[in-house]
Amino acid sequence: MKRNVFLLCLAIVAVFVWMIPGPTVYAAEPIVIGVPTSMGFLEGKESHKAVQIAVSEINAQGGVNVGGTKRLLKVAATDLRDAAPGVPVPEALLGLEKIILEKKPTAIVVGPFRSEALIAGMDIIAKYKVPMLGTIAMSPGSEKKIKGDPEKYKYIFRTCLNAVHLVKYLAGSMALINKEFGFNKVFVMHQDVAWARATAGFVKKVYFDKAGWEVLGMEAYPTGTSDFSSALMKARAKGAQVIMPIFDMPQSGILVKQWKSMKVPALMAGFISPLAGSEAWKTFDGKIGGAMNSIFELGSAIYSPKVPKSKEFFNKYKRTFGKPVQGGHGIAPSYESVYILAEAIERAGSLDPDAIVAELKKTDRNGVMGRVRYDEGNQAVFGTDPGETAIGLVFQWTDDGQRRIVFPASVAEAKIQLPPGLKSLK
Amino acid sequence: MFIGTVLYAVVNSVILALLAIGFNLTFGISGVANFAYGALYIMSAYLSWMLLNLLELPFLLAAVISILITTLCGALMYRFVLLRVRGQALSEVIATFGIGLAILELFRYLGFVGFEYTLPVLIDHSFVIFGAYIDMQRILIVIVGAVLVIFLWLFTHHTSIGLAFRGIAQDERTALSLGINSDRIATLSVSFGAGLAAIAATIIIPLGSISPSEGYDVLIKALAVCIIGGLGSTGGVIVASFVIGFAERFTDSYISSHWTMIVSLAAILIVLTIKPSGLFGKQKELEERI
Repeated sequence: MKRNVFLLCLAIVAVFVWMIPGPTVYAAEPIVIGVPTSMGFLEGKESHKAVQIAVSEINAQGGVNVGGTKRLLKVAATDLRDAAPGVPVPEALLGLEKIILEKKPTAIVVGPFRSEALIAGMDIIAKYKVPMLGTIAMSPGSEKKIKGDPEKYKYIFRTCLNAVHLVKYLAGSMALINKEFGFNKVFVMHQDVAWARATAGFVKKVYFDKAGWEVLGMEAYPTGTSDFSSALMKARAKGAQVIMPIFDMPQSGILVKQWKSMKVPALMAGFISPLAGSEAWKTFDGKIGGAMNSIFELGSAIYSPKVPKSKEFFNKYKRTFGKPVQGGHGIAPSYESVYILAEAIERAGSLDPDAIVAELKKTDRNGVMGRVRYDEGNQAVFGTDPGETAIGLVFQWTDDGQRRIVFPASVAEAKIQLPPGLKSLK
Repeated sequence: MFIGTVLYAVVNSVILALLAIGFNLTFGISGVANFAYGALYIMSAYLSWMLLNLLELPFLLAAVISILITTLCGALMYRFVLLRVRGQALSEVIATFGIGLAILELFRYLGFVGFEYTLPVLIDHSFVIFGAYIDMQRILIVIVGAVLVIFLWLFTHHTSIGLAFRGIAQDERTALSLGINSDRIATLSVSFGAGLAAIAATIIIPLGSISPSEGYDVLIKALAVCIIGGLGSTGGVIVASFVIGFAERFTDSYISSHWTMIVSLAAILIVLTIKPSGLFGKQKELEERI
């Protein structure tokens, strides 16, 4: 009897032991990439989409190899709304801190839209030690802060163009205009935000003042301004040959329309975000022939056949989302940043932020924008040869609705054409 | 330069008047501060854009349909939401602001963000007036603004509904005793206000583009104009529009565009300091007398 009871108990124990699960085998957790930016603005929205493309490509290859384990990437996005008029910086910072605390991202890509929010947010990034590859905010103030305390702010990188590099492209295109047509009178109009103020000031100091140009006026417009008639009248009255606009707000499209309707006899050459994309021709009813616009990074809004990866990305984006990239800033670097981050994690072999940052500093990647490397201020180096550095460019709208790259020479497709009514001085 | 500045100041003033007149009409009659006003303006513009680009309707037809739909939305908003909180000023503000927020953020969520969202100009031509270039769309804005003001005056003085509007605005209880249905008139006032926002959008948006954030700007501008002019006073709205409109353009031309917003805000501050009820407002004055 006792033996039977013993055997019964043994059988029950055996069944229980069999039923107890063995050591749980968890699939590796995905690596979270935070994307906090202004989603309500074109550049923010399209940058987020570019990140999604890169993440899906990497995941399709099995993910990122972290010390021998393949881990997938996952995107966690939030709308900081920092680009919207009237949204205070502290509100954007709350959003930045919230995504770090709630989503626990391994790294952040894209980041704050406005430099004001980025510079103030650098302390939050440093506090939580989250590597960030910024792709929209452009003020060199963030680099100054990094150089002031490199150990504290080492987590902040910028893959997009900054205002200093933008100045080189603007100055380069102005030098080309001067050389081709002999123009030397300019009227500068810019948005009253940190990056645009810095850019306008630098171009004047670094180029116009030294090259003998006459700056007829510099007008700063608050974000949200919807009438530029006064400045255009001033430009006409003072005999400006070139109007250099620097704006990234949606309302800057009004400036282009007013420039056309007021028939101001000056070449529009600078940066207005609504002019960047291919859809601008339709948006402005085909009345933008002759306008020249900067594209901050190759692959954002336009590609060059001379850099095949920029064409691949451009076409992939169009296939994925049904229409081409329209934003002229931030989109290509957002795509590139995901690859730069993935490669740094693989080289580091861990998700330790300090190890990732050490590898990010060693970045040397040939991609959509050309060759990407970071300088001592963690800023991607921009130049004029895509084989040596990342590049931005300047294109011109032709009268038949084409965009032709006119600067730099390494990717140029055409010479600058003057719009009707404007005569060369040479 | 001076003539040009005056011309564009007039245009700017009419734009401000067009933005504020619908808000003012609703408040003046029903006492409802419709904080969804900017959202209705943007909604109407997006509706026109969709009818124009997705259904490929002619622009004028698309504009008429979107104005009618927006007018209907205003009426529905009153019947289904505002009627329940009528007379509770704070609840009305919260309810309308909530509706406006929901409309604008829905468009943002649905991806209506980009530079391609704009409406075409009605006549694409520029003129030279006393040496200043101005386009036909801006001249049309001035014409439409003038016609609307005349129409509103005739409507409120020579039609039975218009007279009922004025009756409710002057004294709701007395109007009720004369058989005027105040709820019906209030519904119409919110509805007409929404319709005026839609007309303003149809004529102003072709100068720029449509974006959800524009809805907040429109609301702020409408509020600023109405507060300076005196809430509920149509004459006040027109005068206030010209005060702000001229202050903005002359600051642009003769001081610096950097100061435009500050000068406008200073104008608001000065007017409110001297006359707290606004230029033509009566409410605060009455309260002070009591």
